[in-house]
Amino acid sequence: MKIPLILTLLLFSIEYSYADAYCSLRDPVAQIQQLYPQKTNQLSIVKTVDSSTRNLVKLALPSNDLHFSELGRHTLYVAMKNTEALGYVHVRSEQSKWGLVEIIWALDKDLKIQDFTFQRCRSPKKKILDNKDFKNVFIGKSYEELKTLLNSDGITANNILLDKARGAPELASVVLRCALKTLLITDILWGEELKKFNP
Amino acid sequence: MDKYRGFAKAIVRLCATIIILISAPSYGDFSDNLRVSLDGSARLNNNSAANNTSRIYALGIDTHKVFSSTNGDIGYMVGQLYLTKLSNQTPYSFLFNSPDDKQFVVREAHLNYTAGPKWFPNIRVGHFTLPFGLEASIDTNGRLLDYYHGKNLGTKLDWGLGFNKVLSHVEYEFSYTMGGKNEPKTIDSSYVFSGRIGSLNHYDFIIGVSFLDAKIDNIQRKRFAIDWQYYWQTWGFLGEIAIGKDDKFQKKWLEEKYSLLELNKTSISEHLKFYGQYIFTDREGEGTNQQVINIGVSYQIDAELELSLSSRKQLNTPGTGKKQDLTRFQLRYRY
Repeated sequence: MKIPLILTLLLFSIEYSYADAYCSLRDPVAQIQQLYPQKTNQLSIVKTVDSSTRNLVKLALPSNDLHFSELGRHTLYVAMKNTEALGYVHVRSEQSKWGLVEIIWALDKDLKIQDFTFQRCRSPKKKILDNKDFKNVFIGKSYEELKTLLNSDGITANNILLDKARGAPELASVVLRCALKTLLITDILWGEELKKFNP
Repeated sequence: MDKYRGFAKAIVRLCATIIILISAPSYGDFSDNLRVSLDGSARLNNNSAANNTSRIYALGIDTHKVFSSTNGDIGYMVGQLYLTKLSNQTPYSFLFNSPDDKQFVVREAHLNYTAGPKWFPNIRVGHFTLPFGLEASIDTNGRLLDYYHGKNLGTKLDWGLGFNKVLSHVEYEFSYTMGGKNEPKTIDSSYVFSGRIGSLNHYDFIIGVSFLDAKIDNIQRKRFAIDWQYYWQTWGFLGEIAIGKDDKFQKKWLEEKYSLLELNKTSISEHLKFYGQYIFTDREGEGTNQQVINIGVSYQIDAELELSLSSRKQLNTPGTGKKQDLTRFQLRYRY
């Protein structure tokens, strides 16, 4: 009798997730350590990416959509040094011709790109990240600044970025779209809550 | 040995209590950082060899909860509880009492404490998948895709205690579980020691080695395995090779060899996935080896609905009985 009762209580008291793809870091403890070596712990904040978030992304970035695995409950990690927030870590995936590319983004407290790395990328061009010139185009930039790198088709990156991409234009565009969606969704869903870490 | 097992059981209970007490500050708002899915599936099985058609229905909740304090995360909990109904299912799992039985089934149900110092392993307590082979890094719960832990090791999940950690280049998990399978207790001195060390599971090439020393259902098993996953663009090539021995009657060890090879292909959008498996099993004392192929496809229509189909056929003729010939279809809805 206990189990059906617990089930019923849970069913009526919970906020449902939309999918089982709990898109997040495979191991937050180790992977955040690489981006923030001085961190002592991380704090997870889970929010729901739903159809209204999807519509806001479509509105802000025409010609773009969210992959079905991007809907549901998603985690943003606050890298902590004791009680001080060092920055935020957010993983998003973007569809490509090599399957989903998963990128770990490190954001500063003003929601500008601090660093990024691939969690999963099966493109033969993935060594693009070893190119510091390519990475430096993103680092320190906000959503609005990065949006200027997008062509009018809303899908491809312009020559400012492609000049640094050295033969990997498709992957460069994938990284750019992923960065824009990450910054946008972080602001839409987590922006208000993150203000307490950046008074 | 019994004394040692008693000590291990006490450790399991102590760790569970500590984790629950440490997690207490975040109980105030349990819905924070909580993910819950309602998960329902209907499976149709056509076993041509046994001339039998059966159905399995499952409805349950799948939860994932991160416990945090103001200084950061303490750990997380996974809980999967399903009401499962059989219809004309033969043979049926040890969890059921008849071909048409229904039971509440606990799948994964564990806490993983992650807030220790950098050098300290995470501590897992509860009902979890044994850290061994491919199954350790690929979730097959509720899917037609399978890597046959239950058949090879005696159980896929067990209650107990584990230590795990992801380091810069390798990850590991070692566990002691009680061998009661679905029940959190030892049965006839049952126990399972298992462990796996491997390269990081988000790489394109993953390789791991595993061991198992267990007594489950009065069968003693020892195993050593190597597993790998190689992904190239949308293709995957996976394998597991295990050698070991079984002692079923406390009299004589019989050697066993097992290998599984899988080739899979995922569509660019990841809606469609195809896989083919070849499985070879050779047990000492059995006249012939067993060679089986599995072919499967799954179609994720949207974030909630998934259709899957698989077919299992035996290539060689067994010493006794008919060749395996099983076709399965599953409709699964998660919300």
